[in-house]
Amino acid sequence: MGDKNVKLNTSFFLILPAVIYVLAFAFYPTIEAIYLSFKNPHSGFSLVYYNEIFSFDVTGAIINTIIVTVGALALQLIIALIVASILSREFFGKRALSTIVLIPMGIATVVAAVTFKFIFETSGGYANTILHTLFGLNVNWYQNSLMSLFTVILSDSWKNTPIVALILLSGMSAIPKELYYAAAIDGAGPIRRFFYVTLPNLRRFIGISLILRGVQEFNIFALPLILIGDHPPLLTTLIYNLYQTTFPEVGLALAGATILVAFILVFIGIVLILSGR
Amino acid sequence: MKRNILVYIGVIILGIYFLFPLYILVLLAFNSPKYTILKLYPSLLLQAPTLNNLITALQGTAFIDPFIKSLETATLVGLITIALAVPAGYGLSRIPRAIAYPILVLLLVTNMMPGIVIGIPIAVDFIKLGLYETVEGLALAQTLITLPLASFIMQGTFSAIPSDLENQARIDGANLFHRLFSVLIPLAAPGIVAAFLISWMFSWDEFTYAILLMPFHSTLPVTIYIDVTRGNLLAGIAFSLVFTIPVIVLSFALQKYLKGEYLAGGLKG
Repeated sequence: MGDKNVKLNTSFFLILPAVIYVLAFAFYPTIEAIYLSFKNPHSGFSLVYYNEIFSFDVTGAIINTIIVTVGALALQLIIALIVASILSREFFGKRALSTIVLIPMGIATVVAAVTFKFIFETSGGYANTILHTLFGLNVNWYQNSLMSLFTVILSDSWKNTPIVALILLSGMSAIPKELYYAAAIDGAGPIRRFFYVTLPNLRRFIGISLILRGVQEFNIFALPLILIGDHPPLLTTLIYNLYQTTFPEVGLALAGATILVAFILVFIGIVLILSGR
Repeated sequence: MKRNILVYIGVIILGIYFLFPLYILVLLAFNSPKYTILKLYPSLLLQAPTLNNLITALQGTAFIDPFIKSLETATLVGLITIALAVPAGYGLSRIPRAIAYPILVLLLVTNMMPGIVIGIPIAVDFIKLGLYETVEGLALAQTLITLPLASFIMQGTFSAIPSDLENQARIDGANLFHRLFSVLIPLAAPGIVAAFLISWMFSWDEFTYAILLMPFHSTLPVTIYIDVTRGNLLAGIAFSLVFTIPVIVLSFALQKYLKGEYLAGGLKG
């Protein structure tokens, strides 16, 4: 028994540096951010930064962030479901497709953003080359904020669908084949099998990808910054803008940061409830 | 038969979808500018292949300085991560699951905190500590992104090593450090290398902490951003291409470790 305790103690001793590091570099700054956002430099507790931040269209930024998060998650889930359904069967060229599907994971977000910037350029963009050749159209990709957000959603989905597809694929391969045979014998076609066998069994994996990706969608930063700057702003690009213009005075940016943290916590709560854990 | 055709239509559409942006990047890098950025409707074919774009952009310090910064930061991040994750992974593999699991979740939760939230107070603190605009400071912050996944990988690696081997060494009188360095670490080498390379790659890609903590003489991603937004387009494209090559090579070499199981690791339980 004593020997076992020594072993446990050494193990904890070895884990300690990593835990201390995480507490010092993630938890402490987060708490510091929240604390400082409620503190006036000259007096104690105050909401002065929160009153001020609403003159910077923080409401618009919140709405835009929600639009991008919901849109990107929906698009990524749909494409990833298609990818995973195709890759879960046997066909000639499967290896080639599974390699191609992984390519976006190997492209840095910044590089993806730069490439999509050249694709969605209003004059001199590749998307317009295609639309012009096929339909004689020339689209202004940034004529309103919805269009701008749409380019962000599309670019982000290209970059991040592979991770979702990998998670869903590992979920699909865990579904017993017997369930499909049984459903087929009961006369269920491929579409019904998808909705009554595949989807319910993937529930937990869909939950995992929603949490993993959803939080990252709220945090999406480099991509919108490069593609659309802060026209229209997302929460992150608004925070960055406030940080840059007021540095080293960061109270306003931290008020924005605290709002972002609150949204992430609410989002995690909702997904946890919905995926039934 | 009809189903097969549907599958192949899907395969072709997906193939084009995932390859198209990469193809555009190659066009931008290797086509003469008069068919790319200078044209109202840029050409979808490689009409006048040239290496001039790359050669011009990569000459001089404009490229070398950020390249070296990126290289230094990524290597340091890899080393710090290994120094923290190898002992942590070993410790986690040797304690009961009921205790190890919450610790792993704690590590994972840190990955969910936005870099922009954590980065701002860190920037303020770093100015006081003299770590602002330094490779060491940036590497310390970026390790936040790499540590959770690296700890998972190391925990998995050490769990797979039979404890009989370690007990044998213990009976032979080897103390913990002896056991770690002469028995466990050699056996765990593939996992350690993978954790190092993945950390290296994550740091190489990292943008948020880099722009917050090292805004002036920064790493390649920030330099690319500055080039592209200030109209220095050809340089931005050339840097992007060079920047991408090591990442593509590494992500295919490390495919085994970048699977959904690992990335979803802690939550699957």
